[in-house]
Amino acid sequence: MKVFSCSSDFDYSWDEVSTGNWQKYSPWNKKAPHVIAVDTLSRTVDAATGILRTERLITTKQESPRWIKALLGDCETSLVYETSYVDPAAKTVTLCSHNLTWTNILSVRETVTYSPSKTSPLTKTLMTQRAEITAIAGGWERIKNKIESFSVERFQQNAENGKAGFEMVLARAREVFQEERNSTMAKQAAIA
Amino acid sequence: MSASLAPECNESKERYDTCFLRWYSDKFLRGSAQTNDCDSLFRTYSACLTRALKDRGIDNMVQEARNEAQETDAEHLVKGRIPPS
Repeated sequence: MKVFSCSSDFDYSWDEVSTGNWQKYSPWNKKAPHVIAVDTLSRTVDAATGILRTERLITTKQESPRWIKALLGDCETSLVYETSYVDPAAKTVTLCSHNLTWTNILSVRETVTYSPSKTSPLTKTLMTQRAEITAIAGGWERIKNKIESFSVERFQQNAENGKAGFEMVLARAREVFQEERNSTMAKQAAIA
Repeated sequence: MSASLAPECNESKERYDTCFLRWYSDKFLRGSAQTNDCDSLFRTYSACLTRALKDRGIDNMVQEARNEAQETDAEHLVKGRIPPS
C-alpha cells in the first residue's frame, strides 16, 4: 500500500468553498477533463445531527500509458462512489470515496476535508486530502510496486490540477454572486 | 454543473442541481433548512438515473457500494466532529 496525502489553503471562506464543492466539476473547471460525469444517488439531512449526507457516482475517463494497458487491459473509464458529510454547525465537509471499477487490480480510498483555516477562519479554508492506494494484482511484488507508484504519481498530478481547477470554479462563483447582488441592488434602487 | 453519465438524464439533473445549489447556499448553510425544497425535482432525476444504471448493467455494483457505506457513516455522521489539523 502507498499513501498520498497533502493539505493546502484556499483564499476563500468556508461557505464559498463548501458551496463551490458541488460545482467543482462544472464547465468552469478547465483542469479536470478526466471527470466526465457526476451523478447524485441520494441526499438527506440527518435528523439527529443536522448533517447533510450525499451519495454520488463519479465517472472518469483517463488515458493510461501503454505498459499499464498491456498489464491491466484498457481501463480508461472508471466509476467512483463517494459519500460526503457537511456539518453546517461545525463547518466541516468530509468526502470519502473509493473506486467501483477495476477493483480486482487496484483499491483507491480517498478522504478529503474542508474546514475553516485555523489562522484565518473567516477568509481561508483548509483542504486535507489522503488516499490509500493498494495494487491487488497477484504475483510479482515489483509489478505491484510499479502499479502503485504510477497510481500515486497520477494522483499527485490530478490533485495539483484539482486545486487549480477548483480555484477557477471559486473565482467564477464569486463573480457570479457579485453580479447577482449588483443586479438585485440595481432593481431595488429602481423601485425605490 | 457537471453532466450525468446518462445524457438522457442531463436535463432533469440540471434542474435539480440548480435548485439544490440555491437551497444549499441560501438555506442549509444559514441553518434554516428543515426539509429540502428540491425533493420533487430530485425524484424526477433519480427515476431517470435509476433506469440508466439498470440499462447499463451497473445498478448492482452501485447498490453493493451503497450497502457498505455504513462504515463511513459510523465515522462521519457524528455531530461536531473535530476537523483534522
